[in-house]
Amino acid sequence: MATLRLHSLTAASEKIPTSPFAPSSRVLSASFHCNEKRVSIRMTINAMGGGAKYKGTQMREKQLSDMIKMKVTEAKQVCEGDETSDECKVAWDEVEEVSQAKADLRLRLEVEKKDPLESFCLENPETEECKVYDD
Amino acid sequence: MAVCSAYTTQSLHSTCSISTPAKTHLGFHQKQVVFYRRSSKRGGSGSSSGPCVITCSAGDSQTVVIGLAADSGCGKSTFMRRLTSVFGGAAEPPKGGNPDSNTLISDMTTVICLDDYHSLDRTGRKEKGVTALDPRANDFDLMYEQVKAIKSGVAVDKPIYNHVTGLLDPPELIKPPKILVIEGLHPMFDERVRDLLDFSIYLDISNEVKFAWKIQRDMAERGHSLESIRASIEARKPDFDAYIDPQKKYADAVIEVLPTQLIPDDNEGKVLRVRLIMKEGVKHFSPVYLFDEGSTISWIPCGRKLTCSYPGIKFHYGPDTYFGNEVSILEMDGQFDRLDELIYVESHLSNISTKFYGEVTQQMLKHADFPGSNNGTGLFQTIVGLKIRDLYEQITSSKTAAPLEATKA
Repeated sequence: MATLRLHSLTAASEKIPTSPFAPSSRVLSASFHCNEKRVSIRMTINAMGGGAKYKGTQMREKQLSDMIKMKVTEAKQVCEGDETSDECKVAWDEVEEVSQAKADLRLRLEVEKKDPLESFCLENPETEECKVYDD
Repeated sequence: MAVCSAYTTQSLHSTCSISTPAKTHLGFHQKQVVFYRRSSKRGGSGSSSGPCVITCSAGDSQTVVIGLAADSGCGKSTFMRRLTSVFGGAAEPPKGGNPDSNTLISDMTTVICLDDYHSLDRTGRKEKGVTALDPRANDFDLMYEQVKAIKSGVAVDKPIYNHVTGLLDPPELIKPPKILVIEGLHPMFDERVRDLLDFSIYLDISNEVKFAWKIQRDMAERGHSLESIRASIEARKPDFDAYIDPQKKYADAVIEVLPTQLIPDDNEGKVLRVRLIMKEGVKHFSPVYLFDEGSTISWIPCGRKLTCSYPGIKFHYGPDTYFGNEVSILEMDGQFDRLDELIYVESHLSNISTKFYGEVTQQMLKHADFPGSNNGTGLFQTIVGLKIRDLYEQITSSKTAAPLEATKA
């Protein structure tokens, strides 16, 4: 009888051991250690940012946040005249683009816990961008 | 491992010259080896004595190409991460290259963001008054040429669209992987690109869910408010409906995300109803089904054997038509709160192309912190990932069979 051992259902993302299964074994007994309190596997996106290791990434985060603010204001102004104009559409499209870019960066830092400049800074540690940011 | 096609069946005793790789204006790299036979022949089977040309491609020249249409940024989305994870290994941006690259590379897969084929950068689009959704902002000729090249085993220099600066950066080299995923707004827009796809997926998020997700995404940003988030969605809607939405009729699989029907008047978008719409008759793809293929099933797994917490889980399966195509639809409404719910559901699904019992559950657990890990989005994305693996294995095994037959002849 084959046994599947599964580790806790938490955000710690431990490595799940891959147990080789014979395709014919359909019987399964699952034994798992589950911390009942932390069973919820929903993710709350922490939009406050954090986890940026290098100055360059920290600067990018700020730059994107500032761009979002600026482009939202711009879009509101442009659309005051005509909401259906091309200029209005493009202005809000830009807002969407930078909002998504910021969200992608946040996701990378918080979920993957990897600074996008990691491999660049390994090769170029002396650059301004690669100064390690101390909180 | 290189696959080389030889144009004669002569055995080769020869000096060979290797031509230098030529680079065309479209950014291709090609390697050709020309073998010249010496005068002494081996055996007299009376065949041609001219030089034979062997073209070697850098990788397996059977790159499988998958298209994913999504409006949620590219190359970094949860779907991509789940997909690359099914094949093993984590997908990383190219090492040592442009840190703003959108490309992700793992052992088996390379994910390309179609925004890299923007013909107009942010300033250019502003000048012309077109959004990124508009086909006029994209170079479909280049997209087609480069995807075709990668598919046939030729590396390309692909442009990079920098989402931070809004500019087009110098290109990066993309070597042909085993599986190429093109993700973005227009993978199925151009007919020529469509024909290159071995499998295509469209992620169809309903307006209510899109709004709820964007609130989650943007509300903590000081620049945003509910009004600005709503205005942004509304302003993009006409272009989205005109250029992006029509692609879904071409997709082999559509993942449709809707608000739940289990909670009346729910507008938080946390509990979701997800439908996996699978086209029938697609080569190497057998749709997932519940209990009895081709019949219509309504299934609530919660009961005596399985206790679920509110609002529970509800499944539906059945045949249907979608934009004139025969499809099978598997639907899940609700969410998983416990591991045993997930494995119970997995054990009742058929044609999920797992290699061992519990593989879907294991994959879901591996990424328990990803959005959608407790509902149909994560479940169906994982299942589609496994179906793509199955499709890849079928395609590569059918292609390696052909050259073997040629050498026997």
